[in-house]
Formats: sequence, C-alpha cells, structure tokens
Amino acid sequence: MIVEILSSSFIKFITILPVIIIAIIVSQIIKLYLHENKLKKSLKENEKNIIKASAIGIATPGPLIGFLPTLKTLKDKGIPLSIIAAFITGQTLIGPGRIFFEINYFGVTFFIYKLVISLFIAIAIGTCFRLLEKKIAF
Amino acid sequence: MNKTKTILINSLKEMKTILPLFFIAIIIGVLIEIYIPNSIIASLIGKNIYLAIPLAALIGIILPIPRYATYPIAASLLLKGAGFGVIFALVAGEVITESFAREYMSIKYFGMKFFTVRTILTAILVTAGGILIEVLL
Repeated sequence: MIVEILSSSFIKFITILPVIIIAIIVSQIIKLYLHENKLKKSLKENEKNIIKASAIGIATPGPLIGFLPTLKTLKDKGIPLSIIAAFITGQTLIGPGRIFFEINYFGVTFFIYKLVISLFIAIAIGTCFRLLEKKIAF
Repeated sequence: MNKTKTILINSLKEMKTILPLFFIAIIIGVLIEIYIPNSIIASLIGKNIYLAIPLAALIGIILPIPRYATYPIAASLLLKGAGFGVIFALVAGEVITESFAREYMSIKYFGMKFFTVRTILTAILVTAGGILIEVLL
C-alpha cells in the first residue's frame, strides 16, 4: 500500500513539476523587474486609491514576507493602513505564481472568477479600513 | 546574463523550499483520495454550502499550510465531490495565515488590531466569495 501511495504521489508530482517550475521562474522574473522603489513609488502615488493598491497587490509575486519591511516604511511615511490592507489582501489572494496552479488544477473559469472576486475582496477590505481608521486608532 | 543568473539562483532557492512541501501535500491528497470515502467528504463539505464554505475558510485560516501546498489537497477534495465554493474558501483562507513568521512580522509592524480586523474581514469576505462562486459555477 505504501508503495502504491508513493508511486501515485510521485507520478502526480512529476506531472505538476513543469507547472511549479514555470510558476516559480515567472514569479522570480517579475520580482526582479518589480524593484522595491517602483513598488514604493506606485503605492505613494496612489496613496488614496484603494483600487490601484489592490491591483498592484494582485500583480505582485509572493511571498509577502519580503514586502513587509517596505510596507512598514511606507506606513511610517504616512501611507494609510487602508492602502496597506488592500495591497496585502490582493497580494496574498492572487499572485502571478498562483495563475499556473489554479488554471492547471481548477480551470480557467475558476481562475477568472477567483481573480475578480479577490479584487473585490481587496477593495472591500481597503474600504472597510478607510472607514475604521476614522474611528479606531490602529 | 547577471539577471538570468539571479533569476535562476532565486528560483532554485524557492524550489528548495516549495518542492518538498508540495510533495508532502500531494501525498496528503493521495491519502484523501484512497482512504476517505466520497460519502464522508460529501457529508462534511458537499451538502450544505452555508456550513461547508465557512468551515473550509476556517480550516484554511487556522492551518498554516505553506504556499502552493493547498492546491493538491484542494484538487483531491474537488475529485471527491467538494464544490468550487469550498475550494475557493480553502485556497483563499489559506493565504491569510501562510506562516507564523509572516504573521508575527505583520503584527510587529502593523499591530494586533490591524491583524485581527484584517483576518476577521477576510474570513467574512472569503466566505461570501465562496458562496458566490458556488452559485455562479
């Protein structure tokens, strides 16, 4: 039974391996060209635009942990938390690497629906934070 | 040439982290396919979407599953009869707490209130998104 489980897992792993490799390389290419300063500039320029912050988040490859220090610097420079919340939500829900996995496992239709809904979720969270910022000191 | 080298080195580093965890996730998926009967999956996450989708979102949020590792498990659940809404909730819920290190940093930088509010709002909206996907697909 163990042999069966391992061989079945191995076949599945080999089948998905090209997708993983492409997803990782594409993410790394985008990350290399998306310089930290560019991200800072884009978010600063769109300081009040939650939709743009969400869209920038969606187009930014993960992991998020690498961007947290930059976001902290932006927060210290006065960027509202609503923009940071929208960016973080968009960035975590969708990312260039996830496109390949989601299309491969669940199909293009699912991915398109997820993309649209994720954008709405990121915008909604940014908007909620904008409203809450007036009442709660974060 | 330098950029290509950087991309390759960074990709290999990323693969070193992701591939073993992804293989483990595939094994979990295969175990679900072999050992868990369709009827159990259907009774847990197939019948009542208003219960199944929040549950999937909650599972995704609570379990710190590494990046991309949810996909093979979610695919196995889909094969076993789970709906697309459940899959959306699980995959989207997972990204809220990807790793303890990330959340620790996030709390340290933006505060506990920010983390709590963001997690609650995301859980609610991911559940709503899951229900919407279930209805649409």
